[in-house]
Amino acid sequence: MIRYLIPLIGLVLFFLEPVFGLFSPLQMNGDYYYIVPRFLIMFLIFVSVYYDTKRAMYYGLFFGLLYDVFFIDIIGLYSFLYPAVCVIAGYTVKSIHRNLFITTVLTLVLTALFEFVLFQFFSLIGLASMPVKAFLETRLLPTMIANSLFLFILGWAFRSVIVARFIERQNSPGLSGYNGQ
Amino acid sequence: MPQFFSNKRLILLLLGVILLVALISFSLRDRDNVSLPEQIIKDAVGAGQSVFSGPAHFVTGVFDNVDSLLNTYEENKYLKSRLEEFATVQAEVTDLRSENAELKELVGKEEDLRDYNPIQATVIARNPDQWEEKIVINKGETSGVKPNMAVMTARGLIGKVTLVTKLSSTVELISTQNPNYRVSAMVLGGDKAVFGLIEGYDADRRELLLKRIDAEIELKEGQKVVSSGLGGIFPKGIVIGEITEVAIDEFGLTKLAYIKPAADFTLLNHVVIADRLTPEVDGEDNGETGDGES
Repeated sequence: MIRYLIPLIGLVLFFLEPVFGLFSPLQMNGDYYYIVPRFLIMFLIFVSVYYDTKRAMYYGLFFGLLYDVFFIDIIGLYSFLYPAVCVIAGYTVKSIHRNLFITTVLTLVLTALFEFVLFQFFSLIGLASMPVKAFLETRLLPTMIANSLFLFILGWAFRSVIVARFIERQNSPGLSGYNGQ
Repeated sequence: MPQFFSNKRLILLLLGVILLVALISFSLRDRDNVSLPEQIIKDAVGAGQSVFSGPAHFVTGVFDNVDSLLNTYEENKYLKSRLEEFATVQAEVTDLRSENAELKELVGKEEDLRDYNPIQATVIARNPDQWEEKIVINKGETSGVKPNMAVMTARGLIGKVTLVTKLSSTVELISTQNPNYRVSAMVLGGDKAVFGLIEGYDADRRELLLKRIDAEIELKEGQKVVSSGLGGIFPKGIVIGEITEVAIDEFGLTKLAYIKPAADFTLLNHVVIADRLTPEVDGEDNGETGDGES
């Protein structure tokens, strides 16, 4: 059963993102703050760190493609960036100690980087015209605060599910050839 | 990590980047049409999305109700003060309507740019990355939605349909940065209607720009702006907003007005698509043919 849990969580998070997107932008004291939910990519980074980078890349490609087609009509943007972030996460974690705190920090840093790359891309094709300072204040900061809250609440749950799947796969005969540790 | 850039991987990476650039440029060039696989994906994701957005709308509805309960006293005071005024206006409107109908009958004019067929729809998703102001609604081709139709809430115009699949459609909000986004509008409240084009959105002020107004026309703050119906696709008379400031445009030839949108673009839930009864023609509302500035 745990076998299907990871793609299922991914799918649920994929559908939850736009629902949370409906609440944004938030208006506070006359200023508008954009909160971009990035649940899926954070989950995929966890999968990449604790389970299997290659598998995370495939999930990233699949969900990225859905995202591209359904929301932004530019095919190749998210379907490239999601796997790319997973690869970076997988390679970074090989050289450092793997615990929940470090993984959380790594995830947040990568998410911020992801957000910044998207900002650069949309500025490049002229869909966004926003100075970097405004981007940092009204978009990146609130986005990262909201997403880190989400991660602090659910990070341990992600890890326990993924680790459970990892152990299950290691115990299953015939499939234990690859060792992600 | 020296083995990361082994020959095979390097070639794969390069191929990937080339494919990526090709795909992006291909899909950037032709964003108005959806191919069949895209339509299938869109409809499938849209169906899944509806399952999740239903409960979300319920929750926001509860919060909205609590919020309006808290404001009841203030609102009631305000509404009472407006009530007397309302009765007179209502009487006047009824009178004018019947007169209008009589006059129309007199001249034998049946079609009106104002008439439209409302299609009710629910917002199922908002583009989560919010770089483009787009929402997805749960009505598509099968319900009669066509590209470039006007989309509004009870308070006013919010955008127009850009992409249509069988069961869902994408709406680009009026607060977009897209330079090809135009709505032909007119200003009410003067001696005669003043025509202009809604072109662009000032993200700092969060206000729309009404451009190409004749420089000799005097405009005042607080005048209402509605769609003119002359753009070819939108019906006439959808509220857009009201003027907050009038300025001279960058070339000094025409005037430019800042318009505060009447509709609220946050927390969109139920929207109405206006299917105009008068046959549609190409015009400024359809972003492609409106470029001819002669």
